[in-house]
Amino acid sequence: MAETKNFCAAIATYTIPPISIILIDLLFYIPRSSDIWNFIRLVPFYTGIYFWSSQRSDAFNGISAFLLGTIADVMSANPLGINIMTFLCLYFLASRLSAYFNVKRFSYSWLLFALAITLTMLFKFLITSIFNRMWIPINAALLELLLTITLYPLLARYYIWVERRYIHLEDRYEKI
Amino acid sequence: MKRQRVLFLKENYVLRVLKSFFLAGLFIIALLLILVHKIDISIVSGVSKGVMYISSPLIHIATLPAEGLSYGYKKIAEIMYIYEENERLRQENSELYLLKERMRALQTENRIFKKLLHHIDVPQTISYTARVIAENDNAYSNSLLLYLGNAGDFIKSGYAVVNSSGLIGRIDIVSGKYARVTLITDINSKIPVVSQKSRDRGILIGNNTRNMNLIFPPLMAEFHKNDILVTSGSGGGLPPDIPVAKIKRAGVDTITATPLFSPSELEIVKIIAYDVMPDKETAKELE
Repeated sequence: MAETKNFCAAIATYTIPPISIILIDLLFYIPRSSDIWNFIRLVPFYTGIYFWSSQRSDAFNGISAFLLGTIADVMSANPLGINIMTFLCLYFLASRLSAYFNVKRFSYSWLLFALAITLTMLFKFLITSIFNRMWIPINAALLELLLTITLYPLLARYYIWVERRYIHLEDRYEKI
Repeated sequence: MKRQRVLFLKENYVLRVLKSFFLAGLFIIALLLILVHKIDISIVSGVSKGVMYISSPLIHIATLPAEGLSYGYKKIAEIMYIYEENERLRQENSELYLLKERMRALQTENRIFKKLLHHIDVPQTISYTARVIAENDNAYSNSLLLYLGNAGDFIKSGYAVVNSSGLIGRIDIVSGKYARVTLITDINSKIPVVSQKSRDRGILIGNNTRNMNLIFPPLMAEFHKNDILVTSGSGGGLPPDIPVAKIKRAGVDTITATPLFSPSELEIVKIIAYDVMPDKETAKELE
């Protein structure tokens, strides 16, 4: 009984980060008159993946990043695989950076996010350009990058709230 | 000593190796998905349709409150300017009345000419109206998400999507009551067009910006600034003579054009069901 409870709690814990990302992203899909919203549709994904994989690696893994990438690819009409690779790249960078640097301090976390997302977007820019055999507009990609870095604190607050409200990993179950 | 009945007592060698290759494996799967997408295998479109089947209703539910607010705002704005609008419509109506008579005469003349030349007309098309529930207009893709309602069963990939300005894009994926549209400005869009004035042909390609490029123009082509490009109908994928874009710059090396629609006005669109392509058996016979 206790084992089943433990297993269910573990599954729920792994489900919360992707669900929190998808729910906040749905709000970004509400149609608005300003074109600027088009550039921030994927920001909850980037910030969420970085946040969860650097702050709570015990509740977020590569499969979560893979599934979120599939959803993002379909929602944003990208060729299947582009966002999956991008998110896996961000997941890898976030896990590596959190292993070497102190990401518990918010200012450092933001700085490292800026570094990770710059590399990730450069990677996405290159693979999308290679896939289409044509350079995609750099101005729009840069705008998306700057908006993503700017919006990180705001979205991180939301993820911190989700973490405090719904995940108390150490109290509820032991790591499996 | 009694043994513990657990799968892994501690991290063994196999698990450690598996863990280290796990992320690399996911990367390889993603790369394979991109390559498979490039060669267009039905399993990839199946995955896309499946994910869209789940995500589209969620997006639609999220957009409903905003749609309601937007509807209310528009109604209030309409009531505020109802007198000015009425005056403008009266004036437009009187102008259209004169044009209507002229058009009738031209239609009759056209019918006679067609009969004389034994002209075969473009088949009649059926159109469906759909509502835009979400748009993606960024550096990586330009697309729309449509709510089709019960018309979902009649819509196929490749159908033209238009609004009052002209061609917007083509249906990419249909999943249940929802469809994804690839806009003409998308990097994957290629539209065969013809100049409305000179009838010179070319292919209009998108690059995820408002400036599209016209490629493969004829050698002595006459493209000028502000010329309207319309669909040529070559290939049978799109109905002919739908306005697509206006030429912005007609240089020696490059010809750029801007689309006639503006993204902010995309609310209700029309889907044109145009089926002139032969079925598989007829295509084989023709070959």
